[in-house]
Amino acid sequence: MFGTVKGREGRFVVAMRVLLGRLFQLILVLLAVTLVVFVLTQIAPGDAARLRLGPRASPEAVSELRHQLGLDRGLPRQYLAYIIRVLHGDFGTSIDGQHVSSIIGQRIGDTLWLLLGTLMFAVPAALILAWTAAWFRDRTVDHAIRLGVLLAMFLPAFWVGFLLIRLVAMPTGWFPVADLGSGPGDLIRSLVLPSVTGAILLTAILVRSLRSSLIDVLDSEYIAVARSLGVGGSTLIVRHVLRNAVGPVLTLLALNVGYLFFGVVILEATFNIPGLGSALVEASAKRDVYTVQGITLLFAAGVVLANILGETVVSMLDPRTVST
Amino acid sequence: MTATLKAGEEVPRTRQPRRRRRGDGKLAVGAVIVGLFVLAAIFAPLITSGHPADQDLLNRLAPPSQAHILGTDQLGRDEWTRLVHAIRIDLRVAALGSLIPAILGSLIGIVAGLGNHWLDAAIMRTSDIVVSLPLFVFFIALVGLLGPGTGFLFLDPGELPLIIGFTVISWVVYARLLRSEVRRVRSMDYVRAARLGGLPRWRVITWHIVPNAIGQSIVYFFVDVGLAVVAISTLSFLGVGIPIGTPEWGSMIQAGRNVIQTNWWLIAAPGAAIALIGMGLALIGDGLDDRIKS
Repeated sequence: MFGTVKGREGRFVVAMRVLLGRLFQLILVLLAVTLVVFVLTQIAPGDAARLRLGPRASPEAVSELRHQLGLDRGLPRQYLAYIIRVLHGDFGTSIDGQHVSSIIGQRIGDTLWLLLGTLMFAVPAALILAWTAAWFRDRTVDHAIRLGVLLAMFLPAFWVGFLLIRLVAMPTGWFPVADLGSGPGDLIRSLVLPSVTGAILLTAILVRSLRSSLIDVLDSEYIAVARSLGVGGSTLIVRHVLRNAVGPVLTLLALNVGYLFFGVVILEATFNIPGLGSALVEASAKRDVYTVQGITLLFAAGVVLANILGETVVSMLDPRTVST
Repeated sequence: MTATLKAGEEVPRTRQPRRRRRGDGKLAVGAVIVGLFVLAAIFAPLITSGHPADQDLLNRLAPPSQAHILGTDQLGRDEWTRLVHAIRIDLRVAALGSLIPAILGSLIGIVAGLGNHWLDAAIMRTSDIVVSLPLFVFFIALVGLLGPGTGFLFLDPGELPLIIGFTVISWVVYARLLRSEVRRVRSMDYVRAARLGGLPRWRVITWHIVPNAIGQSIVYFFVDVGLAVVAISTLSFLGVGIPIGTPEWGSMIQAGRNVIQTNWWLIAAPGAAIALIGMGLALIGDGLDDRIKS
């Protein structure tokens, strides 16, 4: 795990080496993902051409469309054609005849806002809670935080969302409860409740592991040395403890990105936000295979990219973590 | 771990670690909560009135009263009856959806921990890939497209896909846990001693390695059942998995969202049930964890 840094390679070179290695892995994983997603179309019940044309279409029209969509060719050739289309940015068309890529284009904004909002609440909250727990380790405060965080993992996000809508949004009228607002003020107001809801779960996940990495940092020799040199207070925390805790936070976030995406799907369904997640749920209820395929592939690519990005940044911050 | 005591000698009270008592408290609270849910599920017909699908069309969206403790829903069905009957579905699917990956993942983890280098590497790389995929998103896509399917043995429609999905998702945790624990225990002196003493290999594994490596995964099992309850209800809230209309907590919340202003208890009660049983299971897990560590 902790390979030595060879020679006098700079951090940048190390990071590039990691990045290149990971890019190769990215291609492999993405190929695996496209295969899984492609299999989705194959095992989905019903015929894509028949679903599009409706039950009353003539058999000739159906077979004509099957030929157009390439459904009459062998599976390996269909898969190859699918990869080539995806590489050209063509995800096919939805049941309603819209381009899947344009559906994604319309919807991705709201999803990104939700992700950002959730992170903005969750990361500071997790840092503060984990920090407090680590500092007061094994005392009542620590036990209370750990128990609270454990129990928070079992609060269903959609239920918390509805409670917030009923108890906060409805009586006060401060927060719109459907769609994201268009102006900057409206946007922020409509993001508050979904972000808080999403952050509760994410914070719980983060604090559990972050506490132990902070304790490792606090127990380390370099902190003892810094203290013995008279460094204390905020300088100690910011320059020595927090800087060494950034790595674990990023690694944890990257590991939980898949879960975070699931969380956004729930938030969109709860707060009626037309993002990618609600598009996925609607499309899968309508058996809209190509839309489901496109969005799933996008989420999967997002997870893989986040992992690579996280690992690269962490290796730039701390060259010791480069695996050999 | 424990010092030998002579007959009749009492353990001095001061030597009992404090943690142990704390763990026992959590265990007790958790066990009471989960026990009440299990009892309610078993005796559901006794503590509720009528069938969960019975409709009282003249009494739709009735507020809580003597006849309907939690009122009625849009179709005039008794909310309390549905809430209690839902335990049977949620808990059964969650328990199976955690037990199967626990057994499967543990076996894989033991093989990885004891097996040769290549086998271990193959298993671990596979688990790396599984962890890095958005599996719940795949699940929505897959089950959404395939539909709930038919029943299977004693399972109702929609339950088998959930159990398979949870197995694919959570075997990884058990595999990783047991692999690292097996590796730790394998190099312990008592295992070496047993081997040197001439015990056959399988005997060393089943008597000495596995029992000492399994603790953490039992802890996680309880947490996992709770997480599965949350996941089942979340998925059926999204319209995936358990078919709509079944008394299930997530779809009850989904059904109540339109009357959130007036009949808020139709949402509050099922959600509280999910959170409460999840917390009960988490407390059992955490209490066991404290006990193992003390």
